[in-house]
Amino acid sequence: MIVFVPELYTLIAAGVFFALSLASDNARRDFRLAFILSAVGLVLCVVWVGSRGILFAGTYQVDAFSQVFKCLLYMGFFLVVCLCERLDGVEARRHSEFYLLITLCTLALMLLVSCVHLLPLYIALELSSYSLYILVYLRKGYEKGIESAIKYFIIGATASAVMLFGFALLYGTGQSGYLIDLMQELPTRMNEPVVLIGFILSLSGFFFKLALFPFHFWAPDAYEGAPHQVAAYMATVSKAAAIAVLLRLISLSGGSEQLAWFLIVLSIASMTIGNLAAVVQKDLKRLLAFSSVAHAGYVMIGILSMNALGISSAVFYALSLMIMKFVCFMVVVKASNNGGNISISDLAGLHQRAPMLALALMLALFGLAGIPPTIGFTAKLLVFTAAMKTGLLWLVLVAMVNVVISLYYYLLVIKAAYFTKASGDAAPINVSASLQVLAVGLILVMILGGIYPHHLIELAQTAASSIGY
Amino acid sequence: MLELHAAQFPFLSLILIACVIGLILVLLLPEDQKSVIKWVSAASGFVTLLLSIYVFAAYDKTLSGFQFVEQIDWIPALGITYLNGVDGFSVPLLLLTGLVYFTGVLTMWELETRVKEFFALFIMLVTGVFGMFMALDLFFIFIWYDVSLFPMYLLIIVWGSTRREYAAMKLMLYLLFGSALILPGLIYLVAESGLGTFSLPMLANMAEFTPFQQKLAFLLFFIGFGILAGVWPFHTWSPVGHVAAPTAVSMLHAGVLMKIGAFGILRVGIFLCPEGWQFWAPLMGFLATIGIIYGALAGLRQTDLKYVIGYSSVSHMGIVVLGLATVSVDGMNGAVFQMFAHGVMTALFFSSVGYIYDRTHTKAIADLGGLARQMPVASGYFVVAALTGIGVPCLASFWAELMVFIAAFKVYPVYGVVAVSALVVSALFILRVVQHAIFGPANEKFADLPDVSFGLGIPRMILVAAIVIFGLMPFLMYDTIQTSAMFLISGLP
Repeated sequence: MIVFVPELYTLIAAGVFFALSLASDNARRDFRLAFILSAVGLVLCVVWVGSRGILFAGTYQVDAFSQVFKCLLYMGFFLVVCLCERLDGVEARRHSEFYLLITLCTLALMLLVSCVHLLPLYIALELSSYSLYILVYLRKGYEKGIESAIKYFIIGATASAVMLFGFALLYGTGQSGYLIDLMQELPTRMNEPVVLIGFILSLSGFFFKLALFPFHFWAPDAYEGAPHQVAAYMATVSKAAAIAVLLRLISLSGGSEQLAWFLIVLSIASMTIGNLAAVVQKDLKRLLAFSSVAHAGYVMIGILSMNALGISSAVFYALSLMIMKFVCFMVVVKASNNGGNISISDLAGLHQRAPMLALALMLALFGLAGIPPTIGFTAKLLVFTAAMKTGLLWLVLVAMVNVVISLYYYLLVIKAAYFTKASGDAAPINVSASLQVLAVGLILVMILGGIYPHHLIELAQTAASSIGY
Repeated sequence: MLELHAAQFPFLSLILIACVIGLILVLLLPEDQKSVIKWVSAASGFVTLLLSIYVFAAYDKTLSGFQFVEQIDWIPALGITYLNGVDGFSVPLLLLTGLVYFTGVLTMWELETRVKEFFALFIMLVTGVFGMFMALDLFFIFIWYDVSLFPMYLLIIVWGSTRREYAAMKLMLYLLFGSALILPGLIYLVAESGLGTFSLPMLANMAEFTPFQQKLAFLLFFIGFGILAGVWPFHTWSPVGHVAAPTAVSMLHAGVLMKIGAFGILRVGIFLCPEGWQFWAPLMGFLATIGIIYGALAGLRQTDLKYVIGYSSVSHMGIVVLGLATVSVDGMNGAVFQMFAHGVMTALFFSSVGYIYDRTHTKAIADLGGLARQMPVASGYFVVAALTGIGVPCLASFWAELMVFIAAFKVYPVYGVVAVSALVVSALFILRVVQHAIFGPANEKFADLPDVSFGLGIPRMILVAAIVIFGLMPFLMYDTIQTSAMFLISGLP
């Protein structure tokens, strides 16, 4: 049981917040506690990164892959908690519930990356989704919040129903819910229609989480309607978990060509639609949502390459996406007044109002566009190299054209931050010293990940080594 | 077999370090210390200039292969090494970058708005350019290439003039579309080689690419880098961008950045895909010739001083590409010499126009006139640049153009004739500008404007000196380029 300590710890932390939700409201106390608990959890995950084991009748596997991802998830969780100092988007009396749900969601995602049986996989996914459904709904004083929460819920429920059907078909094929049994059975039978369809349907729940076409319709509305911190969480932590499970599941197919073609279509559709839709967005969070859709397409290229480099590139991509998207949301949180939504033009004069944030934002956006020397470039380089090893030059060219399209809207945001002058009534942005330090740290990570990514790549390769072809 | 001659002392890295230290110091200095920031930038520029002069002088002209080579494992997992080195093609361009960096900083001495950010971005751009000219690892080549591009957007949009938002966006999208072709090309070659290395000398020596692979990759590189080199019909970003950019950025941009494009074709395309080069050379020659004529004719119709120079750049860069297209020693020689000569000349052009614009607040040729009487020194610099542009003997670009045209006449007689006749047109349009703006009746409005002071004249004097030195002693440049060019051509199948 010793290998299960980080998860148990997270469960206890959730229990603490449950107890607090019964006590009197105190936003300050809740934030401090969440900060400490998530920091300790992150440390625990890092300490436990080397642990290995199999639990619960072989349905739960603690390996390098799951442990690296747990560190990533906790890092994202911790970063999001750092943004909760002024949780304006949520009513004060609901703050402890907010932390309860977000901790539970993290727990669910941690379980998700370790599950090696279809049934717990489904349960963990649902646990994380339910937490997020409520978290999106927690937005204070925003009429469209409820609409987006319901939209999110309905699409999510549909995706998970479809996925359950796919699981049933897979179970029927392999006569077992254990992934290890399916791994023996599936690769030889991938050309049977029922297996292929079952497989594709099983992935839909994770396509939904990743906001991959055609399961992306919730993303812009949910990002727009959710509290900023929840949107940040959805864009970072929950994406990383989705990438992890997709890697695990798709490796079961043993490199099926039909599946690869199907994923290629989804990937191209996702990045093209995401980028083209992002070009016309005015609201910053909607823009980030569509950029997430596009990035789901890019990371899919790594996953569908179905080789060892593809897996490690996707792991690296998850890390880089988490950092860059987080920086964007940090700016959203800081630049918004009382938790309201902000449009691109609200960033005007950011370079004077908060120079460090503006610099971080610029690097993050260039990183999202894949321009060196940023971590985003390294991620794209790895993904494209993996695709090229499978001989997909044309797919890389399509992706690069998409990168150029995406650059257009990223540049518009940079222009607003660096060029447009702030209007007279724009409130100054108070960036606390600790957040300033965080911003500098993230800037360094983004640049170092671009010019000296050696250790991060090794980490990704270690993680990738425990699942493989 | 490309040999690597290890460096006794890491002079090349020292150039980069001088830039990076300058950058860090500028970033650390407070915003209001404007003159300190300028001095720091100038000092960093001066050190890099001295180092690049040293490398130029110490480069052994008898050896082929790469010299001053430094090598450190960088990302072993992907076969990426920090590998720097120079050959006869890159040594002149390092010198050019040093010259333009130092003189560019001096030219912007009067800048008052957002000084810190300007010089930080400017130094970042220069670092990328230096890195690009010395990197021998495909990963680093691409990194430096993009590092030198993305500061352009902010430099133009914040400090620029005419239609800057449009120009900056257009320039950025064009150039990054170029890198969208280059990156797949690079990864394609690395993946197809099966060697698991990004090292350019290793790939050039050991990889056996099929003719199809070479043709495909070379086309990607030619278009990708060609966009930055201003190859017709991908040049449209260039005049607009030059006009909108602030003076030092125009200098750097037309003077050095466009050379990165041509240099990329040479370093990556020609070194790795020689058969692709031979296959596509006629197309390169054709596009280059159109570019030469088009630039000259378009220049004839412009009313804005900077547009004139912008179009002359398109024309002159066409000569570089035409040289590369001849697949001959003379052509390569001329092409690289032309890169250097054109770089220094355009820097001088923009530098003198920048001065005139700062004083008169107009770039319209019709509004100027008779400046020779009001600002004799400033006009003098402009006229020297103009004469170099026309290709007057004893100035640097004469020799470069001569070599290219000799080579072109041998290989593509038709293109050669057409290109030479375009020279007449370009002489016409440059002289027209000189006649209207510098001579002719004086505009009384500008009677009281001060002429270039000695301090502000220093950068222009350095550039004039470079033009004259290499115009009088072209062998300094030829001998450097010659060995590398001969080696490259003799290795062709």
